[in-house]
Amino acid sequence: MSALSLSTPILRIKALNLHFDEGRIKALNGVDLDVREGEFVSIAGPSGSGKSSLLNVIGTLDAPTSGELVFRDQPYSKIGDASLFRRENIGFIFQAFYLIPTLSALDNVIVPTIGCDGTADEYKAHAEALLTQLGLRDRLHHFPGKLSGGERQRVAIARSLINRPRMILADEPTGSLDSANAAQVLDILTGIVKEQGLTLIMVTHDATVSARSDRIIRMRDGKIEQGASA
Amino acid sequence: MNLFRFALDNLYRRPARTGLTVSAIALGIAAVVALTSIAWGFEASWQKANDARGTDLIVTKMTSENTMPSPFKAEKVQQTLAGLPHVKEVVGLLSEMLTVSNDAPPVFVFGWVYGSYLWEHLKLVDGRWPASREEPVVVIGALAAEMLHKKTGDQVEIEGRVFQVAGIFESSAVVENGALLMTLDMAQQVTDKPGKVNVLNIKMDADATEADLRSIKEQVKQTLPGFVAITSGELVSKNAVVRISKAMSNATILIAGLVGALVVFNTMLMSINERTREIGILLALGWQRGTIIKLIVSEAVILSVAGGVVGIVMGVGIAWGLEHIELMRGKIDAIFSMPFFFAVMGLSVLLGICGGFYPAFKAARSLPSAALRYE
Ligand SMILES: Nc1ncnc2c1ncn2[C@@H]1O[C@H](COP(=O)(O)OP(=O)(O)OP(=O)(O)O)[C@@H](O)[C@H]1O
Ligand SMILES: [Mg+2]
Repeated sequence: MSALSLSTPILRIKALNLHFDEGRIKALNGVDLDVREGEFVSIAGPSGSGKSSLLNVIGTLDAPTSGELVFRDQPYSKIGDASLFRRENIGFIFQAFYLIPTLSALDNVIVPTIGCDGTADEYKAHAEALLTQLGLRDRLHHFPGKLSGGERQRVAIARSLINRPRMILADEPTGSLDSANAAQVLDILTGIVKEQGLTLIMVTHDATVSARSDRIIRMRDGKIEQGASA
Repeated sequence: MNLFRFALDNLYRRPARTGLTVSAIALGIAAVVALTSIAWGFEASWQKANDARGTDLIVTKMTSENTMPSPFKAEKVQQTLAGLPHVKEVVGLLSEMLTVSNDAPPVFVFGWVYGSYLWEHLKLVDGRWPASREEPVVVIGALAAEMLHKKTGDQVEIEGRVFQVAGIFESSAVVENGALLMTLDMAQQVTDKPGKVNVLNIKMDADATEADLRSIKEQVKQTLPGFVAITSGELVSKNAVVRISKAMSNATILIAGLVGALVVFNTMLMSINERTREIGILLALGWQRGTIIKLIVSEAVILSVAGGVVGIVMGVGIAWGLEHIELMRGKIDAIFSMPFFFAVMGLSVLLGICGGFYPAFKAARSLPSAALRYE
């Protein structure tokens, strides 16, 4: 990765607030954060500190109460179609995998392409390639119930990549895995992210995981704690 | 993997609910198919009987909207009609629904003017026709023969009087196939209605035009107060039984459509509530709201179309069964056609769309973050 791309911000966040219950709950309370293109940022912090809330706002799943967000040169306030923005730019990975139990691994990966303009063959080939890259070549037609936790999360990673996003948002992706599986999933995810030059923002409680990131952000009470960095 | 397959998969996931919903829709559609086909068939078979007889105009009492128009003294009216231009034949007809056997339901008994054109369209398959106006014999339709277990030479008792079966005939109209036929004079005697007929049938000569028919209708209106001249189609559509059965079939269409839409509505609402989080995930994965709407409406339409197909099969079966039970035999002749089946499928699709619409919009409106947090 070049020094130039690392220096270009992909995401700029200023004075971000996300309030619930008419301001009684301040899930995000004045967050400032810049993320560079290709950077791997990990977010740590106690439960309820606003980590998921921050990812949701970055991923346009929640609209902020106030504050400024800019993705590359586009202010979030100018995004007309949030789901189109997500489809083109963002890949989500969740702690609980959230695979669809009645679909095969391959079909689960293809789900985000439903309603897109490409051909079925094209998506199928891409999904197979991604699953192969994630070491699931012989699991294409397995259903989630027949996969281990690590395998399921790898299917979810493939799913997050199918629409060729620029930025991956992962909310405790290894939180449901044992340490061996966690390490393997993390290796694979960071490998792909680096290879494709993607930006990765990951919430994690696991110090060995955050140790591998470019930068660790610590949150508390809806704010980013100062002075923490890897 | 595409939207359609995903929609199918979502329905397979809940086989019991899907099955129940399809069954409920199918029952409604079956009722629609059975009743509508019978109502139309009823009208068509009466029309067919009149058309087969070669009748151009029918003259009845104006108030007659019963199954059979009420009887009237024929002579004067008949003379007036016979004098009108282009009228070739005017023949009276008496018709009653009578019990002729204790172990069979009532059947139609027709009395037709001996030697008139009415008899010409029937095909004699056994025996002979009545030999004179006053011969106490009947000829019976093939279906009536089968239902009453009668053959040529047997006797039937009608209103306390014994008649011999002279022969058996076939007609292209099911109402005639299921009927007993005698001369008008015998029918007037046995029903105690001397000189009376229900309707007068007018047959025009070969060079009569539409305009001539219209002018006869007009003249009947002016010179015969209380009477109307109408075509067989008009008579049949005025018929009370035809009108009631059509009204019933229309009501069934309305009720089945509403109930079907409500069933789909309820099922899809349950289904999207159960899948709240999954819908949040799909939105997080970049699904457009329009794609969510398409998915839910597709599921609703798949349910209703499946219900429609099963319902058509059931409905045809029910109509067939009704045609063959003793009470109804020879009285109904359900008609089915491709356009009818297409219309029923159209109704199914429509109720699916109506029932799926609101749940689809509700699902598409959900906030992805809230849906993801949903337990
Ligand atoms: N929709 C909501 N309505 C009300 N309160 C909310 C809502 N979403 C989040 N919160 C509150 O905002 C705060 C931050 O929540 P968030 O989920 O971001 O925490 P977190 O750091 O991800 O915690 P955890 O580590 O447990 O996942 C919490 O107090 C939470 O209860
Ligand atoms: Mg969280």
